[in-house]
Amino acid sequence: MNKKAISLVCAGALSMAACKKSDQTTAGTDFDTLKKDVLVNFTHNIAIEGYKDLDEASVGLFDALTLLNAEPTEAHLTAARDDWKQMRAIWEQCEGFLFGPVEDNDYDPNMDTWPTDYAQMDSLLVSNNPLELTDIQNATLSLRGFHPIEYILFGNHGSRTAAGISDRQKKYMLALATDLKNTCHDLHTSWTGETGFGRLVISAGSGSSKYAKMQEVYIAIIDGMTAICEEVGEGKMKEPFDALNPAIVESPYSGNSIADFRNNIVGLQNVYLGRYKTDGAGINDLVAARNRSLDNKIQSQISAALLAFDNITVNFETAITEQRLQVQQTMDALAQLRATLDGELKPFVLQNITD
Amino acid sequence: MKKFFFLLSLSVLTLSLVMCRKAVPFAEEDYDERLTGGWATVFDETSKAFSHAVDGLTGRDLRMHELGDASFEQTFVSAPSPVNNGLGPIFNNVSCISCHHNDGKGIPTVATPTSSLLFRISTNGRDAFGGPVPVAGYGNQIQDLSIFGKIPEAKVDIRYEEFTVAYADGEQVSLRKPVYELRQTYSTISGTYALSPRLAPPVFGLGLLENIPESTLIYYADEQDADGDGISGKINYVYNPETKRREPGRFGLKANTPTLRVQVAGAYHQDMGITNAVFPVESSWQQPQLDALNDDPELPDSLLHAVVFYVQTLAVPARRNVADPVVKQGKLLFAQAKCSGCHIPEMETGVNLQIPQLSHQRIQPYTDLLLHDMGEGLADGYNDFLANGKEWKTLPLWGIGLFEKTNGTPYYLHDGRARSLEEAILWHGGEAEQSKNAFLKMSRAERNALIRFVRSL
Repeated sequence: MNKKAISLVCAGALSMAACKKSDQTTAGTDFDTLKKDVLVNFTHNIAIEGYKDLDEASVGLFDALTLLNAEPTEAHLTAARDDWKQMRAIWEQCEGFLFGPVEDNDYDPNMDTWPTDYAQMDSLLVSNNPLELTDIQNATLSLRGFHPIEYILFGNHGSRTAAGISDRQKKYMLALATDLKNTCHDLHTSWTGETGFGRLVISAGSGSSKYAKMQEVYIAIIDGMTAICEEVGEGKMKEPFDALNPAIVESPYSGNSIADFRNNIVGLQNVYLGRYKTDGAGINDLVAARNRSLDNKIQSQISAALLAFDNITVNFETAITEQRLQVQQTMDALAQLRATLDGELKPFVLQNITD
Repeated sequence: MKKFFFLLSLSVLTLSLVMCRKAVPFAEEDYDERLTGGWATVFDETSKAFSHAVDGLTGRDLRMHELGDASFEQTFVSAPSPVNNGLGPIFNNVSCISCHHNDGKGIPTVATPTSSLLFRISTNGRDAFGGPVPVAGYGNQIQDLSIFGKIPEAKVDIRYEEFTVAYADGEQVSLRKPVYELRQTYSTISGTYALSPRLAPPVFGLGLLENIPESTLIYYADEQDADGDGISGKINYVYNPETKRREPGRFGLKANTPTLRVQVAGAYHQDMGITNAVFPVESSWQQPQLDALNDDPELPDSLLHAVVFYVQTLAVPARRNVADPVVKQGKLLFAQAKCSGCHIPEMETGVNLQIPQLSHQRIQPYTDLLLHDMGEGLADGYNDFLANGKEWKTLPLWGIGLFEKTNGTPYYLHDGRARSLEEAILWHGGEAEQSKNAFLKMSRAERNALIRFVRSL
């Protein structure tokens, strides 16, 4: 072997040694510390921050509806619609982590039951029911939450005018908004404080009464991501698509369906990256520390799914007949992402987070 | 010719030897205790532990499971509606998932969107099929909610009376006894009636339970207590409205339903007011709440079929901590206290041609699906086919250690009165009195070990 060859071999060996993985992550934090950091960041900067925004947005919507009630102008109607959509965006992003009190205490069905019960809503509105908060709380779920408010604000396909909202509808809408405000506030506070759910997440594996092992809470988080991906791709989109039936599309009054779906995936992305308003330790950092190609794959599949939504340029009710190719491509992107989350990310967690 | 006969005899002998070769069972140590549902076991201990399809379904079957899953979650609305049509006019809840949270057990409250407790009602005697006698104007179930403009049949007040029980070592536990009272009845109920509280049970592993051969149930039944162990156990033979025959009851808290199809169809019909192929007449028939719509059956049969398939193919969560020495000690104590006399640890399923994963599986349901006298403390005075007012079906214990995960706050027993496994054990009476007494005499460490074992299921 000549000298050149020897030096090449040495250089190769050196570079391989240099490349040898340590348990240091890119941020220089060791894996065990990072595991805890991810949970702390998720709890404070994603979940609690998201629910706090939702809580505040529900107050904003209530105020906007109060104003609309007092002064039913088109400008106030537009403002209320914008507030509804803004709040909806926050909520749909929070659906990226549907576990804990939102599920255990049924906050989700209390505010986001679909479909709306038109027949009962009509009966309710023409009745003598006082439409106070307690009446709403006693009503069936399909008469509560976002969608009846949506129906009152938008009508069918946005046909509502400010002057067209009846007094009874206004009263109903205000009681609904109060109910929604209470639910969002309860959801927010259920995570905060020493006895809040956030504490149970952070202390997973070290005294949490809910999660004896840290792995359990990670699996709950990954399952939450997988479930929302599945719900969008294989439920919310696929069912009306297969049935060619616009009547079973969620959020049809406001034409907000695609924004809803996309925000669900943004919520999933927030959880994965540990990024909401600030960028902190995320599951991506854990994955990248041990399997960079898997991290690349997940990030690119999330981006691909989000981009696919942008190719749908009409309302979803129309897209299921007019833009079937784009809808199918989006569902395919979601199916790929779901397969990776369930088939690769979950095994990664099971293998790498064992305590 | 001789040679020919010789060869023929030899081949017959070989053939018969081959045919007689028996399948040799695994040695005991080759079984993995964690495989609670055999093949149909899933390794998940999160809040979604009860929500997985059994592994290995064909693409077509998996799709059907998913359709059933979607339908299980659908909120129904009143008719006429373009989607999920037919709620009510009177009902207990609006979707399957509203009561069976995360495919698990429910919450013992009534008439709220998240309530999972309902009440059966009957007067004395038995009907033409041996079942409970309906109360005029009410049928056999109190529907405590209604669509807007209609009147619910009644409301039920629930209050609890606390009392304490003492262990042999002096430690005390507080139990709560529920007292139920009907109020706001929409019409007068004449004569006496019995109320039976029923809390929504978990819905996983049911395909396996449906597939336990009747011969196995007969084997465990011992109605006259011939073996003198203080435990009898009988099969509840119930009427199947589809086959119009008496069949062994397996589902429902008094084993009062024969098949999953009848169980699911009955829940749509009675709990949500949705008519279907099995029960095509509204639950409010001959009552003032009845709607005048000619839209029955409201549930497409394909969806009923899919939901039945869904609950048939929900996998059973694996046991946890099986090697923990305390859990092992608890298992021994469980057997010594004769808990396993009714909570039978192991059974084998029969053949299921449609779903091979459910065939010949060695499972650990911790039930015998039989009726047992559970004593005065748990009695409801409600006769349900062969079940009398003190008899309940042995509830399967598989998955019970995960109720905290799947349900947030866990509740136990047929009406959710028990707030912990300890309370649930202490409510046992009747045929289980001796087991409870054995538990009362255990040391604190032994009691904890037994509970740790049950939590591992």
